[in-house]
Amino acid sequence: MKRVVRILGEILLLAACAFYLFPVYMVFVNSFKNRQELYENMLALPGKFTKEYYVTAMEKMRFLKAFSNSLIVTIISIAIIVVLASMTAWMLVRTNDKLSKTLFMIFVATMLIPFQTIMMPLMQVMGWVRNNLHIPMLESLGGLIYMNVGFGASMAVFLYHGFIKSIPVSLEEAATIDGCNKFGVFSKIVFPMLKPTTVTVIILDVIWIWNDYLLPSLVLSGEKLRTIPLSTASFFGQFTIQWNLAMAGLMLTIIPVIIFYLCAQKYIIKGVAAGALK
Amino acid sequence: MKRKSDKAWYALFVLPLVFVFTTVVIIPFFIGIGYSFISWDGMPLNKKTFVGFSNYIQLFSDKNFISSAGHTLLFTVAAVLIINILGLAFALLVTGKLKVRNIARTMLFMPYLIGGLILGYIWQFIFTDVFKSIGETTGLTNIFFSWLLDPKFSLFALIIVATWQMAGYIMIIYITGIQAIPEDVVEAAQVDGANFWQTLFRIKFPLIMPSFTICLFMTLSNCFKIYDVNVSLTKGGPNRATEMLAMNIYNEIFSLNHYGYGQAKAIIFFVVVAVITLIQVSITKKKEVVM
Amino acid sequence: MKMKKIFRILLVMTLIGIMTLTGCGGAKDNKSANSDGKTAEKEEDKTNSEEKGTTESAKKIVVFQSKVEITDQLKALAQEYKAETGVEVEVWNTTGDDYLQQLKIKLGNNQGPTVFSLAPGSESNELSAYLADLSDLSFVGDIAENMADVKEGKVTGIPYTVEGFGVVYNKGLIDASKVTDFASFETMLKEQKDAGINGFSLSSESYFLIGHILNTPFALQGDPGAYVEQLIKGEVTLEKTPEFVEFAKFMEAIRENTNNPLEVKYDKETGDFAMGKSASIHQGNWCYGMFADYDVNFEMGMMPLPILGNDKIAVSVPTCWYVNSQATDAEIQAGKDFIEWLYTSETGKKYLMEEFGFIPVVANMKNEKLDPLSQAVAEYTNGGKTIPWPMNSYWPAGIVDVYLVPVAQEFFTTNMTGTELLQALNEAFVEAGK
Repeated sequence: MKRVVRILGEILLLAACAFYLFPVYMVFVNSFKNRQELYENMLALPGKFTKEYYVTAMEKMRFLKAFSNSLIVTIISIAIIVVLASMTAWMLVRTNDKLSKTLFMIFVATMLIPFQTIMMPLMQVMGWVRNNLHIPMLESLGGLIYMNVGFGASMAVFLYHGFIKSIPVSLEEAATIDGCNKFGVFSKIVFPMLKPTTVTVIILDVIWIWNDYLLPSLVLSGEKLRTIPLSTASFFGQFTIQWNLAMAGLMLTIIPVIIFYLCAQKYIIKGVAAGALK
Repeated sequence: MKRKSDKAWYALFVLPLVFVFTTVVIIPFFIGIGYSFISWDGMPLNKKTFVGFSNYIQLFSDKNFISSAGHTLLFTVAAVLIINILGLAFALLVTGKLKVRNIARTMLFMPYLIGGLILGYIWQFIFTDVFKSIGETTGLTNIFFSWLLDPKFSLFALIIVATWQMAGYIMIIYITGIQAIPEDVVEAAQVDGANFWQTLFRIKFPLIMPSFTICLFMTLSNCFKIYDVNVSLTKGGPNRATEMLAMNIYNEIFSLNHYGYGQAKAIIFFVVVAVITLIQVSITKKKEVVM
Repeated sequence: MKMKKIFRILLVMTLIGIMTLTGCGGAKDNKSANSDGKTAEKEEDKTNSEEKGTTESAKKIVVFQSKVEITDQLKALAQEYKAETGVEVEVWNTTGDDYLQQLKIKLGNNQGPTVFSLAPGSESNELSAYLADLSDLSFVGDIAENMADVKEGKVTGIPYTVEGFGVVYNKGLIDASKVTDFASFETMLKEQKDAGINGFSLSSESYFLIGHILNTPFALQGDPGAYVEQLIKGEVTLEKTPEFVEFAKFMEAIRENTNNPLEVKYDKETGDFAMGKSASIHQGNWCYGMFADYDVNFEMGMMPLPILGNDKIAVSVPTCWYVNSQATDAEIQAGKDFIEWLYTSETGKKYLMEEFGFIPVVANMKNEKLDPLSQAVAEYTNGGKTIPWPMNSYWPAGIVDVYLVPVAQEFFTTNMTGTELLQALNEAFVEAGK
């Protein structure tokens, strides 16, 4: 019985993978075709695997510059989100009063606002800050990071909130008696225990920030500050799309994320297996 | 004395994020509410007229808005169910002892990285060309035809693509939850003679309730807000059959230049969705096991 | 208690929101804030790029424009401009699709580019407060009649080129001289169908599906602008206008005898044509670039869509250059200098004609390397055989995507009659024009 279930599972999972991978396969093979080849058969393997389109795409994207901009924005944004959100969520869980509940509900509720409806006021606020307080919120990576933190806050707080609840309070109380202040308790006891959640938050935020187009496109326009999705934008016009460049650009965008995920996923599993919860 | 220092700690931990969050999300949101009482095309130098609640009154007789709300509801209910069932199934499978689990984990999450025009192009090709040729070769032309031309089937198509995209994403959160289940609890249950299903329903599910709360909420909010997949796959067609609320609002603001009216729609949309999802959160939260 | 408090806070915040909008958000405030912001930005730019610029005239301008096809060439041109004049021109990227929305947001919070592009007509009307007066550029008098965008007697927009659309056909398969009215058009469709070829093709993307083809009966009205106005007011109906009745017959014949345009994307439409599977497509000269990768082994041309014997193709200026009136004076000057240079210097003209492939719109310019479709457009233009684009000039903003496409989709997926099509389109105009 158990064996049947397992074999069934293997087959099911493989089938799901095939279904999942099919469109990815199409992106890959079509990144090597010109318009006529693409028109003739989207499914076939390309006549030859030429790196031509990848080279062109990289040149047009100014790949290295864009890559390093994306890296800076992603890493710093996520670092700030992780630290601030875990601190906030912990306090909200452990201080069980009306204020905490209200704050938590506000964080959660705002996840429901479609970004498109606040992007214009947001840009006005940021423009105002720049003009009146002379803090460069627009046309700067710092401004983008700041906004990413604002938008990433809700989900991260929500995730941490959910998992902090499952941590026994007794450990923290013990540490408090040992003379730790709140910050000590948090950094020495609580934060390490949140590792699996932290990895989850990091993965989800990497996916989001690395691929985000709309917000960066409003904040950054100049060539020097472009992130990867912005640098491929010109491949993607509806009527002007050059499929091979667009697909090559897409592959170049997602490969780093996949590599990152392969490295990070071990952590979710190891983190727990190593007994972080005990 | 102690209480005062507690408050200081509270402020120190909570305020930085709340400040950033307020300036980036809350203030623009309230400015947006302000705009909803104004008739305006969105350009600061152009004329603004204060119209009071008339934008709100108008939207209750806007049949496209109401029908898109219907589609969104239908889509969300179906998609949330399927995405969560699949996401959880995937998570259980890849955290099990299967041989293919490592490859699977990576592959299942990859779709989330493909969006926009390319997603639309590929899936349109599948639903139009591939489906038609499957239909022609197998003779099952009443299942395999150009789905995007049929109002009902194009909604299914949208659900399939949304599932394809989000199930792997949701899987990541479920994995975290499953991994957090202490192994001794599961082992103890098995020693006591619990079978596979009993362990699953009696032990594992109650312990991953927090993940349920989170995943349900995230799929709910993502499905309600769905825009990218909608635009790239069907653009609302055929004949508005798949026009979702976010797209309706977006068109109102950016295509028709009815900024104030679009904001009013967005506010109503937000209130309705917030009520629904907050009910969901409070229901599932109550079922969580506190350790 | 708590709820009341929260409610009160919300109320106050909303009120503040409204007040900042209606009260203090006047145009004057914006303008002063704007110039502040601009100088601040400029200083940043200077330090950023370590330029020595100390003079008053801007040493750097930003160009943001929607025609993605010329982005690479425009960047090369910017290099040459810098070499010749020392002024840096930064070209911003766009997908083209979200260009207008991005431009509006950037103009709205004073983050706007110096030089930008718009479609003259409802787009440029909406943003007219942001358009600087370009009347004093030296070549303005040489621009072909009605091609510049004029607002209140001032020239604000300089045309890129002209574009034209009609029936792009395969000369090996269709004899244009025999397709002159509805009957002969329908015969052509049937003959091609019998020969296993698709006679005519639209494609599923908004303008390609309904915008362009519906432009023709509007353009055939004596005064298209007045007609649209009357239509919206309900004084005329499409059903009772002969050009539209005939248009409906065309649409029925197309639905009857050709592939379903909803299943055809632009790529497939042009691909089918290039491979000889379609005898004709409803497109404009812009689509020639799509054939670059194909081995096209036939000659192509462009002919009118013969609604009521129409023998003209729809030609107009799709895009104009504009200068941001909210920029600093130095920047406005630099922007105007750039456009002046583009249209008068040898290098600039060479780029317009050879690199961008534009059809001349200013006297003394000639393009000898036009592709066959642009050549056809130029010939129709020179022969005076053109009709305008009321779709850009007079149709309500956003109508094609939001209102007309759903109607066309219904038409192509159901058995809706031509008359019902006209009624639905009529209703769409009334609705969108409100």
